[in-house]
Amino acid sequence: MRRFLDRLYAASGALAAVCLALIAVVMLLQAGMRELGFLLRGADDIVAWLCAASAFLALGYTFRHGELVRVGLLIERLPAGARRPTELATLALALLIVGYILYAAARFVYESWQFEEVAQGLIQIPIWIPQMGFVAGALVFFLTVLDELVVLARGGRPAYQAAEDARRSRKDFTETV
Amino acid sequence: MTTIGIAAVLFTLLVVLLAGGLWIAMAMAAVAWLGLQFFTTSPPEVNLFQSFWGSSASWTLAALPLFVWMGEILFRTRLSDEMFEGLSPWLGWLPGRLMHVNVFGCGIFAAVSGSSAATCATIGKVALPELKKRGYDERMCLGALCGAGTLGLLIPPSIIMIVYAVAAEVSILKMFLAGVFPGVLLIALFSGFIVAWALLNPSKTPQYADRLSLREKLRKARNLIPCLVLIAFVMGVMFTGYATATEAAAFGVLGALGIAWWSGSLGWESFRVSLMGATRLSCMILFILAGASFLSSCMAFTGIPRELATWVGSLNASPLALIAILAVIYLLLGMAIDGISMIVLTTSIVLPMVEAAGFDLIWFGIFIVILVEIAQITPPVGFNLFVLQTMSGRDANFVALASLPFFFLMLLAIGVVVAFPQIALWLPDALLGATRK
Repeated sequence: MRRFLDRLYAASGALAAVCLALIAVVMLLQAGMRELGFLLRGADDIVAWLCAASAFLALGYTFRHGELVRVGLLIERLPAGARRPTELATLALALLIVGYILYAAARFVYESWQFEEVAQGLIQIPIWIPQMGFVAGALVFFLTVLDELVVLARGGRPAYQAAEDARRSRKDFTETV
Repeated sequence: MTTIGIAAVLFTLLVVLLAGGLWIAMAMAAVAWLGLQFFTTSPPEVNLFQSFWGSSASWTLAALPLFVWMGEILFRTRLSDEMFEGLSPWLGWLPGRLMHVNVFGCGIFAAVSGSSAATCATIGKVALPELKKRGYDERMCLGALCGAGTLGLLIPPSIIMIVYAVAAEVSILKMFLAGVFPGVLLIALFSGFIVAWALLNPSKTPQYADRLSLREKLRKARNLIPCLVLIAFVMGVMFTGYATATEAAAFGVLGALGIAWWSGSLGWESFRVSLMGATRLSCMILFILAGASFLSSCMAFTGIPRELATWVGSLNASPLALIAILAVIYLLLGMAIDGISMIVLTTSIVLPMVEAAGFDLIWFGIFIVILVEIAQITPPVGFNLFVLQTMSGRDANFVALASLPFFFLMLLAIGVVVAFPQIALWLPDALLGATRK
């Protein structure tokens, strides 16, 4: 189970990275073809979808790396005894919110599949195909948060905390803007 | 409940959730859900989907991950050593000598990188040990690095400007152009301060040891060429209107890969690390933007921003007073939260107010970006302080005190930009025409 989940997060992150790289490739192709007098039709739509896919698919992976921002100012100063229950409550609430995001995404995409909605733009494919990236990303994200909650509830240390501490001891603060 | 009452409930909830350590985008989503569910008739799940999908599946926003990636690639090259070698022979004649490498190095790196912490770390990792070895004053050096590192946010390309442009629905290109002269202003202020300080404390600047012939100097300056060519190219295609910001970012990635390859630091591993780093950083930003977009849709339905704007208007305060109050609020916010959250948490409320008071949104963007820069160097949460703390091994107080003069210089810059808005607006108006917004 542990191995499967870790592979799932890594695969989802890798897929997100591929989408990001493809944005650059599509943009360069479009610019190059324009120079040669060709029009790459629908490139703008593809770039937008890749951008969304990259963002959503990376959510779980980024979360586990402790790189989704939060305000640590108060909770980091809590005494160790109060820190754990606060962290548990926060993670439980996070699970609820991500669950709701997953529900909203799945419901909406299911409807657009049911009603066979077509993308508005040059590429007339069913819109649920690019939107599946949102559903898949939200699903992986939900599993990640659930995973971390279970680890914490069993008395372990969540991966996002471990990653954050590791970055600090490596003295690496470059993962911010 | 009155609109102001609803605003108070939502605001309190947001503060509690954020203080409790909930991830920022999730806190915004939770507040938006609550607001829509209980105070409007609009179904929250539909709004959620449309804001999350609409804000992320955006062709304009695709410039953001690409500029992030470009910075990540260059951060891992030998660019910082080359910058130091190329710049230092040319700055020896100025009072303060190599101290200026901090400022100009950051200024140049800021033109290829959109991030403040990365700019600070890139220049710092070479300049700090080199200047220390030569006997320069460490305190001044840390202060200069801390202050000048924030130029990464103001000199295009800038991640934070893309975030603001998307949130305020203004043109990314205009924001980039508007940042150029305020960036030059800050460089002039920082360098001017170093000159004045060096003249007042002549004993603290060591003698210039390595005097070189002009030929030697030119030979060393060759080190700067790859970086300058990349800057000229990316800015050139963008500002002449040949390519959009997103296309320019793609060219930038290509150029950055070229530089990395040329300097021999492009391997599979560094390519992978830079790409994964960019993926995480842009995912973090896009998730916040999605949460913020959901929260703004909630705000629009409740009518809170309109109400607040009317209320502020009814106070009959002068626009200057409004700007002064906002500056204080942002200074306080900047002590606790990061710049991106600072912008997206406030735009849906603040922008209608600012617009009603007759300010240009591009100009306000520059104003807010300089305040975010200040946030990078104000304790307890200031990322440039963290970067330099760990690099120098000094404690938080030492670094914060060292950057204090630069904090005041940035406040001065804000004053100048408020008094002379044309510093920001002239370039975008001249190049893209004076159509506002």
